[in-house]
This record gives sequence, C-alpha cells and structure tokens, in this order.
Amino acid sequence: MSMKNKITAARRGFMKKLVGGAAAVTVASAGAVLAGAKATPESNKQRQKHYGMLIDTRKCIGCHTCSVSCKSEFDVPLGVTRSWVEYTEKGTYPNVSRNFLPRLCNHCRHPQCVDVCPTGATYKRPQDGIVVVDSGQCIGCKYCIQACPYDARFLNPVTGFAEKCDFCIHRVSKGLDPACVNSCIGGARIFGDLSDPESEISRQLATNPTTVLRPGKGTEPQVYYIGADHSDEHENERGWYDVRITTHRKEKGRR
Amino acid sequence: MHELAWGLPVISYFFLAGMGAGAVVVSGSVLLRKGGFGASRFAIARCGALIGPFPVMLGTFLIVFELGQPFRALNLFHLINLSPMSIGSWFLNIFITLSVLYAMTFLPPSAGPGDKLAPFRRALAWICVPLGIGVAVYTGIMLGAMPARPLWNSPILSALFTLSALSSGVAVIILAGVFIRRKSNDIAIRGDYEKSSYLLISSDALLLAGELMVVFLFILFGHLTIGDVRYAMSAILPGGNLAVMFWGLVVLVGLTIPFVVEIYQIFPKLIHGRKFKSHAAIEVIVPLAILIGGFALRYTIVAAGQITAPATL
Repeated sequence: MSMKNKITAARRGFMKKLVGGAAAVTVASAGAVLAGAKATPESNKQRQKHYGMLIDTRKCIGCHTCSVSCKSEFDVPLGVTRSWVEYTEKGTYPNVSRNFLPRLCNHCRHPQCVDVCPTGATYKRPQDGIVVVDSGQCIGCKYCIQACPYDARFLNPVTGFAEKCDFCIHRVSKGLDPACVNSCIGGARIFGDLSDPESEISRQLATNPTTVLRPGKGTEPQVYYIGADHSDEHENERGWYDVRITTHRKEKGRR
Repeated sequence: MHELAWGLPVISYFFLAGMGAGAVVVSGSVLLRKGGFGASRFAIARCGALIGPFPVMLGTFLIVFELGQPFRALNLFHLINLSPMSIGSWFLNIFITLSVLYAMTFLPPSAGPGDKLAPFRRALAWICVPLGIGVAVYTGIMLGAMPARPLWNSPILSALFTLSALSSGVAVIILAGVFIRRKSNDIAIRGDYEKSSYLLISSDALLLAGELMVVFLFILFGHLTIGDVRYAMSAILPGGNLAVMFWGLVVLVGLTIPFVVEIYQIFPKLIHGRKFKSHAAIEVIVPLAILIGGFALRYTIVAAGQITAPATL
C-alpha cells in the first residue's frame, strides 16, 4: 500500500514537473519537457542541500581524535580550535558522572555571525547551508566572534582573519565526510544532508530524542546531539552537586 | 577572567568617538539655535567644532590599527549591509570628513557670526548634527545587536551611550571654555561667559539626569528579569567583577557627583532668579569627572559584556 502511494506521489510529482516545465518554457516546449522528464533523477541530486551533523555523545569516548584530525586538516595554529571536546564532570563520589561534549560550529539556520559581519565576508552558502568565512573580505574586526553564542569562532593568530569550522568544505564537495567524522573511532558523528529524508542523519534525527545547544538564542543550530549533558558550571551556585567543565581550550571557562 | 576580544583600543574608541561626536553635535545645535546663548553662540560653536573631530579621528586610528592590518579596513567600504558596524563605519567616514570641513569654516581670522562662510557653516552644521548623533548611537546598537551577549542585548544601551556622548561633548566644551574663553579679552572669544556657562551647565545637568535615569532602568530591568540578562548583570551588580568600577567611577564620580554639583551651582538662578556665578575650579573638576565616568562606562559595559555569556548551554 505504502509502496503504491509512493509511486502515485512520484507520478504526481512528475506530472507537476511536466506541467510546470511546459508552462515555464514557452519556446521549444516539447524539447524542454522531454529534457525535464529525463532530468528528474538528476535534479533530485542537485536540489538544495542542507548539511548538518548529529553527534551521539553516548558513543564518544573523549579521545580528541576529532580535534587532532581537524588541527592537522587545516593546520590550525596553537592555542585556537575549530573543533574541540569538552568534559563535563558532575556529582560527588560515589554518585558521579563524566560526559563528553564534542563542539564545533553549529552552521545555524539563522547565523548571528552572518547578520553582524560588516563586509559580507561570512555568509551561509545557499547550495548547502554551510557557513563560511571569505578571508579575502574579512577585516579581523572580531564582531562575529562576539556574536557567536557558541564561541565557535576565533581570530587566527597567524593570518589575523576570523576562522571556524566549515564542515571540511573541500572534502564534502568531493563526496567525502568531514575529517572529524572520518576519524571518529566511536562512530559518534553522523554527517549528512538534513533536507534529504532518506539520509542516515535524517533517519537518526527522526528516530531519536535530540537536543541542540542554546536553543533559546533562536539560532536553530544544525549540529544535533544525542544524550548531551547540558550541565554548566552556573549550576554550582545552587550547591546541590558539583559541576566541573574542562574545555580543553585556551579559555578555561565556557563563554 | 576571559580574554577580551574587544580590548582597550575599542573601548577608547567608543569613548573618544562619543565625546568628539557629542562636541560637534552640541556645537552645531548651539550654532543653529537662535537666541539662548546670545553673544556666546559663536564662541561655543567654535570650541565644539574645533575640538570634536580630533578625538573621533584618534579613536578611529586606534580601531583601524587594532585590526592588525590597517588597510583591510577599506573592505568596509566595498559595500553597505545591515550590520550595525557597516552602517556605523559609513556614518563615521562621512562624519569625519564633514566635521573637519565644518571645523575649517571656523579657522579664518575673519570668522564670525555674519561672515561670508556663514551659509556654508550652517549647512554643514545641519548635516553634522544628525551624522554625529548617528556616530554616537551606532556604538550602542552595535553592542546591542547580539543575543549571545545578554548584557549588551538591550535597546536602552544605545540611549545610554548617546546621552553619555552628548554629556561628554558638553563637558569638553565647558573644560575648553575655562582655559580659552574665561580669561580672554577678545569679546568674540569670551562672549557672555557667565550666561553661556549657566546654559552649558544646566544642559549638562539635564543630560546627566537623563543618563542617571537610563542607568537606573538598565540595571533595574536587568535585575527584575531572570535568566541570561540577570546572570550577565551580576558582573556589574554589587559583588561582581566590575561592580566597584561601575558604581564607583561611573555612577558616583561620573554621574551623581557632577549632577549634584551642577544642580547646586544652577539652583540659585534656576529657582530663585539670583545671579549665576561661575567657578573656574568647578568648571575644571566637574567636566573631568564626567569624562572619567564616560570612559569608565564604556570600559565596564564593554568588558562586562564579554566576560559574561548566556547562562545555560
């Protein structure tokens, strides 16, 4: 039954495309329609992507392989990180836990860094939703670093430009996974196209309870977590249990 | 303590650009307004116009060199977008150019209320006043545009910075007046010193009152809310890292004491219609306190915004 529905839906979509194609192209309509019919699977492949990442923190062992592979992939200078892993330690013996939180740029749907960039150097690529920095335009004003609620950006101490994770655009454009996904020994990271309902990441998102970081900021992150511990050191003010965050960055505290 | 991405050069720029733009705005407003300042109108306008552009240019110099690659700043002028920094840098660029031209109209020895440059000077004043307000306002908007910085993310911050900029502008004109106009025998420079001093001090008292009100609302609403803003506000509330500087230098030295002294000074004339008497010592100390407070305000707000973040991950 569902198979039949699917076929009907596909036919309907095909018919719509046929009609749409005919209406849009007035000259040489027959040829255009034929081409359109042929191009249906092709256009499926070329439709707008929206890349995202799902990190299953239950599979993360906090080994920093992702951080190291990112460092070597981009030759990231000492003292700054595009990708990093935070440790969250909670409780008092014997009731304790330690969780790992891999962090990177969230490639938000509403990126604040893009809104504030005065030169248009940082922008969200329309074809795949990756937020990138064009170092040819960047002036190093650090406005985007202030605006990012995730502290994902930094000023490259060598070049003087703002920099951050770009989902390994050079690898992804060739059909490879980002370096951190490729190297993750626990298979904790799933990278893929969120707009394709058949992709592994979409299926995992649909079938698991997931969270994003700082949802209240309205940025709509495209990096999702399964089983992330959102505890923060502010909770120590209550005095109920101890929370200790180790960021493994130059900045000892979370921003 | 976090590393400040926007450190002293940027903080100094906020203060210097605000002060300079404030001085030019006050100068232009006094020049354009008939009556009130009477014989001193031109003398005050000249003070503000000749001082104003320098701090703005010095501040701009600081932020351009803070980039590390000064010529990169030219990229700002390839386009204009809705980023407050983009709009602000265009404002700043045009303001510096026109305020220097405006200042130059006061330079010829023959410069006076009715000289042949007067129409040109008035036209420039009409443009420099809104541009100067733009330069003063945009710094607050720029900080306020980011939900990631809860302390700054308040519409009232730009009002605070604008009032502080105007008040610093008046302060610098009063300060210059003591040294340049008070003892001068030249009537074109001295003008009606007592009367203009009264008017400047009473306008400054009004600006300080507005600023105290805005600071009160800023702190109060930060305190009344819960979550991110409340947490961020704790950096300047008693017990916070920057509380001593904020309450001591900004609220007490920069606002309350100058306000009380100025009210005490203008009170006899304002309420009882007695003769106003200017005191050189007060006219030096009060503006200096206001300028210290203006810098401390930029410092505490810019630093506190950067050492605090949203409360939950």
